[in-house]
Amino acid sequence: MSQSLRPYLQCVRSSLTAALAISNFASQTSERHNVPEIEAASSPELLLNPLTVSRNENEKVLIEPSVNSVRVSIRIKQADEIEHILVHKFTRFLTMRAESFFILRRKPVKGYDISFLITNFHTEAMLKHKLVDFILQFMEEVDKEISEMKLFLNARARFVAESFLTPFD
Amino acid sequence: MLLLDYENILIRSLLTERFSGAPPASIDQIVSDFDGVTFHLSTPESKTKILISINVKCFRELVQYGAQQVLEREYGPYIVAPEPGYDFSVVIDLESLPDDQEAKDDLIMRLALMKRNAMAAPFEKAFDEFAQLAEEASRYTSESAPQGVEEGGEVMTIHYREEEAIYIKASHDRVTVIFSTVFREETDRIFGKVFLQEFVDARRRVLTLQNAPQVLFRNDAPLELAGVPGLQDAGDGKISYITFVLFPRHLTPQRRYETISHIQTFRDYFHYHIKASKAYIHTRMRKRTADFLQVLNRARPENEERERKTASGRTFRVQG
Amino acid sequence: MSTAQNYRTINIDTLDPDSPQNFPLPTLLPSTLPPPSTSSAAANTATQVRQLLRSGDATGALRVVLDTAPLGGDEGAKQVHLATVVDVLQGIRQGEMGRVLEGVLVGEGGGERGDCLMKYLYKGMASTGPGSGSQSPRKGISPQSTGFSQVQGRNLGEGGGGQQMSVLLNWHEKLVELAGTGSIVRVMTDRRTV
Repeated sequence: MSQSLRPYLQCVRSSLTAALAISNFASQTSERHNVPEIEAASSPELLLNPLTVSRNENEKVLIEPSVNSVRVSIRIKQADEIEHILVHKFTRFLTMRAESFFILRRKPVKGYDISFLITNFHTEAMLKHKLVDFILQFMEEVDKEISEMKLFLNARARFVAESFLTPFD
Repeated sequence: MLLLDYENILIRSLLTERFSGAPPASIDQIVSDFDGVTFHLSTPESKTKILISINVKCFRELVQYGAQQVLEREYGPYIVAPEPGYDFSVVIDLESLPDDQEAKDDLIMRLALMKRNAMAAPFEKAFDEFAQLAEEASRYTSESAPQGVEEGGEVMTIHYREEEAIYIKASHDRVTVIFSTVFREETDRIFGKVFLQEFVDARRRVLTLQNAPQVLFRNDAPLELAGVPGLQDAGDGKISYITFVLFPRHLTPQRRYETISHIQTFRDYFHYHIKASKAYIHTRMRKRTADFLQVLNRARPENEERERKTASGRTFRVQG
Repeated sequence: MSTAQNYRTINIDTLDPDSPQNFPLPTLLPSTLPPPSTSSAAANTATQVRQLLRSGDATGALRVVLDTAPLGGDEGAKQVHLATVVDVLQGIRQGEMGRVLEGVLVGEGGGERGDCLMKYLYKGMASTGPGSGSQSPRKGISPQSTGFSQVQGRNLGEGGGGQQMSVLLNWHEKLVELAGTGSIVRVMTDRRTV
């Protein structure tokens, strides 16, 4: 693991652990409704101070807590055009399957690549520390996956090019 | 399957079956090939006479560069008047096939290569032109060469697809083949760039490829194409121009057949591998997504409803 | 109200003083808030703190800078003070972090100082300096051959601000070790921002 990756992930872990202290809270604007306050944003006193954890300009996590929901947005590293397109493809692939991911938000928050929305119902049905584990593992694996895909693409391109040019020789 | 075959597999297998002495049957089949080329195989008169017609989008351009002569050379005695809607037709009579197997196989192969042969005309013309120019040039030193020799022949343009074309130009020391290709999607464009960069670098990197043609690519029209009518230059990077510089060693009479066949497959080969990479990456993402789901499901506490029993071993039953 | 505006699109909640949307946030602030300060005051503190730091008293410098946080100051004062805090944090060597931090957290108001430091760590990470927010990938990679291979590790060359972030992240880890997760919760809930 790279030198600065460990403190980064550790920081995200402790911040998430702190932020996931959420409880049931019925909407105070419309009766018999129960909405994630961070999305509705109808009452400013229910929103808490957002936390940003960043490793550098291109890798950061935004945690927006509220009384009954937390929004976690991740910006994934993209060093060049290829990584940009791979990240884009991958996050799109995931968000299209948001239903089975329960906590995945269909649309990322502006400036980030992928967002999760965790409500009190999720923390009630699932183990909180495992949810944190999931997000941490996600962050680690996404990076790995993107590099592997890029390496694969380069390797294939190289092989394909050489194979085509060989018969000329 | 890494490299693409030059011939049309479907035609080959169909004819192999017919030629092998199977009972004659009527055929009426349309076969597609790359670059929007279609074939029509039919038996309009009798079951033993197979009519093979080909439709190429740019046939008129090809004729201009001598396609008719090339096809006549290849299929001389079999040629008939083109079927309506098609550009070129041959008829094979199953009752007057050559006797020995080798000649039969040769005929099958030649027919399956009909597209390759039709497209080969401008290449052959360029190669001939090169030979002529090279001979002329050898009579001069580089300083005193007359204008015409230095500049080389005219640029031949073949619009083999809707928006894409091949440009061929002969000079006294090389033949330049330029493909223009369009990427509709951002992903294709970037993947294409990665692939093309490797094409460009391969020659420099691998010792055994030192003699391969030089490959260049750029997003605006290369200098060789200056003044060619109908050039599209959208300027948004969607069009790429890939230049192959064929050196004299590729143009020798012994090698030209192979060289022409091979370079024709470039565009399809290139796009085929981009698609294949995308497909692979897609399967990878699918697998990775499944992994993520598994991790997420670990967060669910195990709350399977076990059958509860009393101490004496009886079970509760819900009263209906 | 102008008739040009479609009355259906007006958010009437914003016009209603009793609506939850118009919750008076300042009422959540405690009465013990320090008096408002400006950037010039913050600049004065900065000079004082830098002097302490130069004299080798890292613990003292950090204590002072955290005790004088302009909780009631304007945006300018907060920015200047943030820069001072980050300077102090960067001026302390990694090996001394633990010792300095322990020194800051003991004594009267130690917990307060810890929370305040935590606020600054998050604020420091949130402000990546100029050029943040531009997500565009590096442009201008020449498509022309350069003779170099495209394959390279992704971990070479970290993005902008990596150095500073790394310092803040290290401090964060140490602080969580000593002050616990509760400190992060207080950052989220405390309306007195730094």
